[in-house]
Amino acid sequence: MSILVDKNTKVLVQGITGTQASFHIRRSVDYGTNVVAGVTPGKGGITYMDIPVFNAVKEAVDETGANASVMFVPARAVKSAVKEAVEAELSLVVCIADGVPIKDMLEIKNILKGSNTKFVGPNTPGVITPGESRLGIFPENILKKGKVGVVSRSSTLTYEAVLEINRARLGESTVIGLGDDMVIGMDFIDPLRLFTDDEETEAIVFIGQLEGAFEEAAARYYASMPRRKPVIGFVAGNTIPFGHKMGYAGDVLAQGKVTAEDKKEAMRAAGMTVVDEINSIHKELQKLFAPHA
Amino acid sequence: MNIHEYQAKKILSRYGVTIPRGKIAYTPNEAKNAALHVSLRGPWMLKAQIQSGAREKGHFIEEKAGKGGGIRLIHRRRDIVAEAEKMLGSTLQTLQTGPKGKTVGRIYVEAFAKVRAKFYAGLVIDRVTPALTLLVCKLDERQDIMATAVNRPDKILRLKLDLERGARKTQIEEVRRYLDLPERSFHFLREFIKGMYKAFIDYDATMIEINPAGVTRRGRIVALDAKMSFDNNALYRHPDIALLQDEYESEEREIKAAKFGFQYRDFDDGSIGCIVNGDGIALTAMDLIRRNGLDTSCFLNVKGGVDKDKIAAGIKIIMTNPKVEGILINILGGFLRCNLLAEGIVAAASEVGLNVPLVVRFEGINKDEAKDILHNAKLPIIVAYDMEDSIDKLVRAVKESY
Repeated sequence: MSILVDKNTKVLVQGITGTQASFHIRRSVDYGTNVVAGVTPGKGGITYMDIPVFNAVKEAVDETGANASVMFVPARAVKSAVKEAVEAELSLVVCIADGVPIKDMLEIKNILKGSNTKFVGPNTPGVITPGESRLGIFPENILKKGKVGVVSRSSTLTYEAVLEINRARLGESTVIGLGDDMVIGMDFIDPLRLFTDDEETEAIVFIGQLEGAFEEAAARYYASMPRRKPVIGFVAGNTIPFGHKMGYAGDVLAQGKVTAEDKKEAMRAAGMTVVDEINSIHKELQKLFAPHA
Repeated sequence: MNIHEYQAKKILSRYGVTIPRGKIAYTPNEAKNAALHVSLRGPWMLKAQIQSGAREKGHFIEEKAGKGGGIRLIHRRRDIVAEAEKMLGSTLQTLQTGPKGKTVGRIYVEAFAKVRAKFYAGLVIDRVTPALTLLVCKLDERQDIMATAVNRPDKILRLKLDLERGARKTQIEEVRRYLDLPERSFHFLREFIKGMYKAFIDYDATMIEINPAGVTRRGRIVALDAKMSFDNNALYRHPDIALLQDEYESEEREIKAAKFGFQYRDFDDGSIGCIVNGDGIALTAMDLIRRNGLDTSCFLNVKGGVDKDKIAAGIKIIMTNPKVEGILINILGGFLRCNLLAEGIVAAASEVGLNVPLVVRFEGINKDEAKDILHNAKLPIIVAYDMEDSIDKLVRAVKESY
């Protein structure tokens, strides 16, 4: 088991003929991902890397039964691509594009409301279940199948978290990069819930970041869960002086003061184990899985 | 991207927000003419156009500029030229500019607007909800809006606006009551909020702040100051806004970095320069550097797709910062070809001359080959195996070099 994607996920690629898509889809296919269709408007009918290409998502879904999309379309085209994916009732959309305008994302959130489509990203390394399915650009070569779920707002720290899991001689059930744009689709709550329901996952590594109160919201949710799995959390950004130009002043105005320390405090109070240094994650994992060693 | 007060006011006034009469001036003589243009008798406001809050409470570094702040009230027409002379070309330092301050290149000359009460109005994105959010707060002379947000968040009224329709009638009424405005202000308040909202949506803004807005004797609402920030990712839809970019507002290195698609951040203190490929890793590195007793002076986020030439350009940006006493390069990527990265490092180091310790940590493919390249270059480059190790090694090397 795993969450969001597995070997049975039928993947459709929106914007399959781009350079970045070609490179990564080739790797995903070699990894075993069940890529059933590509969509590039105007290129329907061709076969690209042995994958049939369609003009529209709906058509691709009708023909192939695809149920998830990995989106390699440019930032400007993301909104219309999401609309198509939602109309075709895909259950998951993973959006790799960097630089999606914020207003487009707010509109996308409205489009997603009332649909059953989960949207991960934008600006995410993707979602990957080791040995089964890879939607995105995450380096599959460092992953090992295992029992630790990973959810992270930071792309590069996702990498660091996986290295820590490997260092503890464990592996990953599913790795999810949420992306750290101002407005994102999926936040921490869905992964927390799904990992808890997933039999294979025994612990969750949770990587937060300064800006936005996503960690606080996740902590409140975690505290309210009747059944919980151990979470090892980390939040980057202790050193940034409060109110420094790096932050978005709107966060402070909209939510009050939010520091990395406040986030960690909220996570600890909710019952998560919080480490101060990212390189301590492996030690906490070792404690968790070999308490008597 | 930010624009100046006078530019933001011009945009907002096109959307029905009332502003005092004003005109921009680049020279003292222009300031005099502008003053006569906006009001015959005065008083006038001379407002330094730098992109920073708290200009009024700021002060000029140069003595010639006198004791006054960046916003000055002038009562006599004959004083305008002299005051403009003092402000133009001087360096204004505020809580937000840091000790370096910013040079005032233009001043906005405005007719003084007499108001009975002032309030703060902001439009921001609450990213957790996420929603376009209207913020309103009665102003307290002793506390600015950021301090209020931190210490008394309950004093700010926050209303989520519908993305497509803006503020509802009931929300505007709620704001009116919150601010204790007379009933006759409802109409003016509606026009004011509608204008902010429409400008926000039409221009892909990320923040609009009217700080303060004033209420006149007749209940009209006037924007006394205005600040607008825009979404860089949407500037392609607004070439007119992109043209307003004031390069004097950005650090030279920031501009250089932006040309390569990098993001450069400069801090007031610190001695370590970091080159990383992500915000999360930048923040983590900064935390670790602090824990080891040093501080970060600048970082460069080279984002995805680092190649030899790009990394060399990045290193040059950091190396030429005189505050930097040690450099950390921490780059992770599944498909990153470390050997090319190493070649770029060596090329830049040989060109600029490496005179401070440089620690490199990378993850990706061809790692061993990369280590050989760095080793054979016979430069003071140290290779580290993980994040903690890289910072340990760097801090030790920097302290030894003192």
